[in-house]
Amino acid sequence: MFTRHTLPGLVAVAAALATPAASSAADPFAQAVEQANKKLVKVFGAGGFARLNNYGTGIVISKEGHILTVASQLLDTADLVVHLYDGQRLKAQVLVTEPLLDVALIKVKVEGKKIEEPNGLDLDYFDFDAAVKRGPAAPGDWIIGLSNTFEIALRDEPLSVQRGVISAYTKMAGRRGIFEFPYTGDVYIVDAITNNPGAAGGALLNRKGELIGIIGREIKNTLSDTWMNYAIPVGAKTVVKEKVTVKDKDGKDVEEERDRELSMPEFVRLAMKGEYKPIQRKPVIGGQGGYHGIVFVPNVLERTPAYVEDVAPGSPADKAGLRPDDLVSFVDGEPIVSIKAFDDFIKKNTRPGTVVRLEVRRGEALQTVELTLGAHPARPAPATPPAPKKP
Amino acid sequence: MTRLLRPSRLLAAAVPALALAAALSPLSAPAAPLPVDKAVLDAQAARIEAIKKVHPAVVAVCMPDGTGCGSGVLIDAEGYALTNFHVVQATGPFPTAGLANGVLYSAVVCGIDKVGDVALIKLVPKEKGKPFPFVQLGDSDKVKAGDWSLAMGNPFSLAMDFTPTVTYGIVSGVNRYQPPEGKGLLEYTDCIQIETSINPGNSGGPLFNMRGELIGINGRGSFEKRGRVNSGVGYAISINQIKNFMGHLRAGIDADHATLGASVGSLSEDAPLQQMVVKQLLDESDAFRRGLQEGDQLLEFAGRATTSTNQYKNILGIFPKDWRVPLTIRRKNARQELLVRLMGNQAAVVERPMPGGPPMPPAPAPKGPAPKGDGETAKMYEGRKGYSNWYFNVLEQNKLLGAFKKHGDFSAVAGRWVIEGKFEMADRNGPMKVEIAEVDGAAKVTMRLNIETTLEPLKQTDVAVQQEPIGSGGLMMAMYHYHRFLTRGAKGFEGLFAHGGHEPFYPYPLDGPGPKSLAELRADCAVIATKHGSVNCKWYFSLKDATLLGFETYVDKDAKDTENRDPCEVYFHDYKDVGGGRKLPHKMEVRFRDKRYAVLTVTKYATEK
Repeated sequence: MFTRHTLPGLVAVAAALATPAASSAADPFAQAVEQANKKLVKVFGAGGFARLNNYGTGIVISKEGHILTVASQLLDTADLVVHLYDGQRLKAQVLVTEPLLDVALIKVKVEGKKIEEPNGLDLDYFDFDAAVKRGPAAPGDWIIGLSNTFEIALRDEPLSVQRGVISAYTKMAGRRGIFEFPYTGDVYIVDAITNNPGAAGGALLNRKGELIGIIGREIKNTLSDTWMNYAIPVGAKTVVKEKVTVKDKDGKDVEEERDRELSMPEFVRLAMKGEYKPIQRKPVIGGQGGYHGIVFVPNVLERTPAYVEDVAPGSPADKAGLRPDDLVSFVDGEPIVSIKAFDDFIKKNTRPGTVVRLEVRRGEALQTVELTLGAHPARPAPATPPAPKKP
Repeated sequence: MTRLLRPSRLLAAAVPALALAAALSPLSAPAAPLPVDKAVLDAQAARIEAIKKVHPAVVAVCMPDGTGCGSGVLIDAEGYALTNFHVVQATGPFPTAGLANGVLYSAVVCGIDKVGDVALIKLVPKEKGKPFPFVQLGDSDKVKAGDWSLAMGNPFSLAMDFTPTVTYGIVSGVNRYQPPEGKGLLEYTDCIQIETSINPGNSGGPLFNMRGELIGINGRGSFEKRGRVNSGVGYAISINQIKNFMGHLRAGIDADHATLGASVGSLSEDAPLQQMVVKQLLDESDAFRRGLQEGDQLLEFAGRATTSTNQYKNILGIFPKDWRVPLTIRRKNARQELLVRLMGNQAAVVERPMPGGPPMPPAPAPKGPAPKGDGETAKMYEGRKGYSNWYFNVLEQNKLLGAFKKHGDFSAVAGRWVIEGKFEMADRNGPMKVEIAEVDGAAKVTMRLNIETTLEPLKQTDVAVQQEPIGSGGLMMAMYHYHRFLTRGAKGFEGLFAHGGHEPFYPYPLDGPGPKSLAELRADCAVIATKHGSVNCKWYFSLKDATLLGFETYVDKDAKDTENRDPCEVYFHDYKDVGGGRKLPHKMEVRFRDKRYAVLTVTKYATEK
């Protein structure tokens, strides 16, 4: 099996290494990079605080300026701007995003034209359909990464080039901070350090400069806790749970969860026509969330496991029968890695009256309990020890 | 179960990569020979050859006690080596330097460039005169994104025997701008961005192209969440920038970078295309006196297009202060070219700045008394304000003046000089006679260009008088200093006599139409800066053969009335032997404030003992 993977890799290595022997003017890397650079843009949007960059990269996929990038906070602004390779600064607008594919389609906005009208632009672009048709690259294949990593380039400055090989074609298992990364589909893992601030939305190319993937964000691998260098392949697929409303046998509306396959080619095809419907996700609720009455163990670690120390008498947790030493493992099916994760979930997703389903580990067994969250009592529950300062 | 699957998937990903690495290593040849293309083997052989060639010249720059600190590279047989300023900042003036042969040499810091983060050190050979291995300087303007590169040095001070570590990768970008780290120092302009792995300890080490030519000095990287180790983005100072400073570095100067004396910015950050315009000008800047105005659009700076703020900073950042560079501007749809003297960057010498970003192990706190060199290096170090090591300035002066002496020794003719010939100005011409006498400390210059003027340079201190003849900027004063420079040398300049590094000089053609571009005129020169009385001069010697191509005379360099700061410029042409192997110019062009004052044609030099 290893030989099968290694051999094609070596041939690719061989071909690429041969080039420096020739004159550097004939170096196909430089040429491929120069061509590809014309089909990429620097994206500037929301951010600039708390380690959220306000810069990123985008891939032009139509002559009228349809641009693929990742579905990050960068796009949460009305003042989205792109810089073309020749230094032109143009406004852009988000057409549609799909966080579950971590992709967004934005489009250059030409002054005086509506976003859906022909805008007369004639940009260099990557033919996305052709990229999909070429099929996935294999482990061992050489890649070129092209992105605005660390915002090194502005205006007409060329993007940064890196090279490496594909280490694996696999499924994503990552987290951002304490959150599981929503995208769990196909990814290329590469051996170059491609994923740095601003690199997200950049292009992963083969040696010929052809598009094979979209460079992802700064994500840590959930298993090894190391930074990942990945890109989402142009033909990526993922399966997600979608909430749909269906009629039950009595004709009543009920919510049901269904598996749905999402694919990058389908996203691009529909989004370009303005027909893509993002997956319905549960609305995120702000505020304090509902009251549960659980007192956790002192939160002394970055990821203190959510062990119950005590429950407030008469609280929803008490009523549901939670006990000291229970370990809260899942809430509504979401894994809970820490006390903070639990608190964040409650804040984001609940309000008084919400029913949450907890999976708790008690001894060796997993128990399921349901809590109907209440309103926060006027006086706070017994004070929990203050969370330690982050290192 | 799922939990178990994931690691194995990771493992499967890692193994081909490992197998690949193993297969590439010549030590672990696969059992069955792989059919490898000849071109591949040739390329590999060429790469190994390139590494072998430069390997002995890579330096592990160490603390005085021999512990590792940074890296460097030898650039000539005498033992001069380039490294980062932030490396010698840690080692002090007497670093030690380990070579790949395992030998630790004593060294001394020669010149430094704090803003550019470059330092030149000199290694002391174990046997006097024994040549060091060294590398060739390349042309970093020819480097392109996507080119292969080799970084060498001593990352993490790994090699106890100083054998350099080699890393291999591509150039990620060129002409990159990285802002200063701390107090305006360590600004990386026009630098080379590499993915070639560099880590703490690589600082100051060489970046080579695949021919083994030095294209840059590795110095810093972009770091964020991944920590202060290689994160795929490193930067090397381009060798072409360092070449601009090489004269300064060799002359032991604490070199400064240039500013224009004007703030140049984008007309509008929101404009579809950026236009760089002059926003503010300092009254005391040469740019202001050369006619630059607020609102002028800056098209080109030193021959390169200024298309963005970063590009402008890139171009400006590669020049030492006091250099003259041509600017192309657009004003009211007319293009115009100006030749501007750049100002200094550092207002004052900043005391021990802390470097922020560069990959380098933290400097240990200085312990005990100030470091002293060993016997040899202690002799090679002399501190002086404005210089990192005055010893090397004297060394370079002597080299330059030694070469200049081949054009004639004038010390034997220190008496009265009479120069006769004719003069031509825009509106008149006629016979010319200049008499320069300096007897018993009483100096007098008499000059007849139709009318006769005289100057007693040391007695008449009024600036207006010293600048006579009117419109010349001080030609009589200039001739007095020329005579003094030739006949007395360093002894004649009590205020200052120093090697000033390298600068471009722009001798105009004497006849015919003006040049198409000022850049065509450029002649690279070594400079001697002098001061006698209140008058400063700069003497420009061709780098080719040490011919004195001309000089500038600043009657009042720091005049309150900034108008008076412009020098009288004299350009020498048509050198002929006047006897005794002494060569003197027989045509001189005198220029003042962008205009020709006169062309003097000499028919006779009468030089007395």
